[in-house]
Amino acid sequence: MDTQSYLPVQPGVGMEENFLSLDDILLSHERLPIRTECSFPRLGFLDKSSDSQDIPEGTKMELPLWLSKGLYEKKRRVLSVELPKVYREGWRTVFNADPNVVDLHKMGPYYYGLGSQMLHFDSPENPEIAQTLLQTFMGRFRRNMDSSQNAYNEDTSALVERLDCLEKALFSSGQSGLNSFQSWEKGRASQLTASSLVLNYRKRKINDIQP
Amino acid sequence: MDASEVEFLAEKETVKIIPNFSLDKIYLIGGDLGPFNPGLPVDVPVWLALNLKQRQKCRIVPPAWMDVDKLEEMRDLERKEDTFTPVPSPYYMELTKLLLNYASDNIPKADEIRTLVKDIWDTRIAKLRLSADSFISQLEAHAKLDNLTLMEINTIRAFLLDSLNCMYKLRSNQQPGSSKGQFTDF
Repeated sequence: MDTQSYLPVQPGVGMEENFLSLDDILLSHERLPIRTECSFPRLGFLDKSSDSQDIPEGTKMELPLWLSKGLYEKKRRVLSVELPKVYREGWRTVFNADPNVVDLHKMGPYYYGLGSQMLHFDSPENPEIAQTLLQTFMGRFRRNMDSSQNAYNEDTSALVERLDCLEKALFSSGQSGLNSFQSWEKGRASQLTASSLVLNYRKRKINDIQP
Repeated sequence: MDASEVEFLAEKETVKIIPNFSLDKIYLIGGDLGPFNPGLPVDVPVWLALNLKQRQKCRIVPPAWMDVDKLEEMRDLERKEDTFTPVPSPYYMELTKLLLNYASDNIPKADEIRTLVKDIWDTRIAKLRLSADSFISQLEAHAKLDNLTLMEINTIRAFLLDSLNCMYKLRSNQQPGSSKGQFTDF
């Protein structure tokens, strides 16, 4: 049984993010291509490529997801968000053709998470994006399951390098099932071992505590 | 759930032993055991049988299904059928491992039995994976887990549940009108 000193919060995956999930925090820093729909006075320093004081209307720039999500509003058009190219028509055809050949780590690494977040921006292609995300996940499921349930005691870095972060988490939960079964079968589960917490614990010296 | 916890549950199964000592009936919370007379077979839980065996106080009679002919028949049936066939005991894998590890001298053809049970296990796990895949690819909502044992479910549980969870969320993206999908403004 693997014990950890803390329980990480799982990513929210869908339209909602988990506030305390480290993956979702990293995800919210992904950059999105946007186009400003009104001028932003005195925010010119955000756009490094121009020297003007303001950001004029119609500028194309990149903003992190958290900022675009906060600024985006359906009624007052502040900015419009363009789809990153992996979610556009061309790549969607690739994903629908054979999701197994795509290197999602290079594309993402938060392909599913970012794709679900893109649905906030009311693009007309939303239903297709949601459909492609689901199809991609289903198409890659079998390979992910087989590799996670069969790779025992071997280097898995080649297997996980093309996986999205979400799939990596699934892979490791598949591995934990396999490892616990294998260690039981080999009789290693019946041996008592010290908890990793105890092993990591060192006695505190009085000098370390007092400044 | 850990594999060793499943093993713990399996130790409640009864097995026949032939003791070589005599003892009156013993009264335990889980039920009464005994009386033990030398040479007379008696049913006891596996944990007690293994303990007595390790102290060389008994001989274990292997369960009826732990037999090369029967297991071969089962293996062939398992390979032929597309669905899961009924297993002789809900804890066949655990019992085989426990009994063969501690009492292999009481079980004829122990090595062959070990290989056969492993074959059956591998066939069933392959089927389990196949059905999990079709479960996912056909977007099913429920599945019947007839004839699956706890240990088999346990090996795939973590992975399958996490995947289904992700899939549920990706599917709920497709209905943006639902209240869960709406994001709250900052």
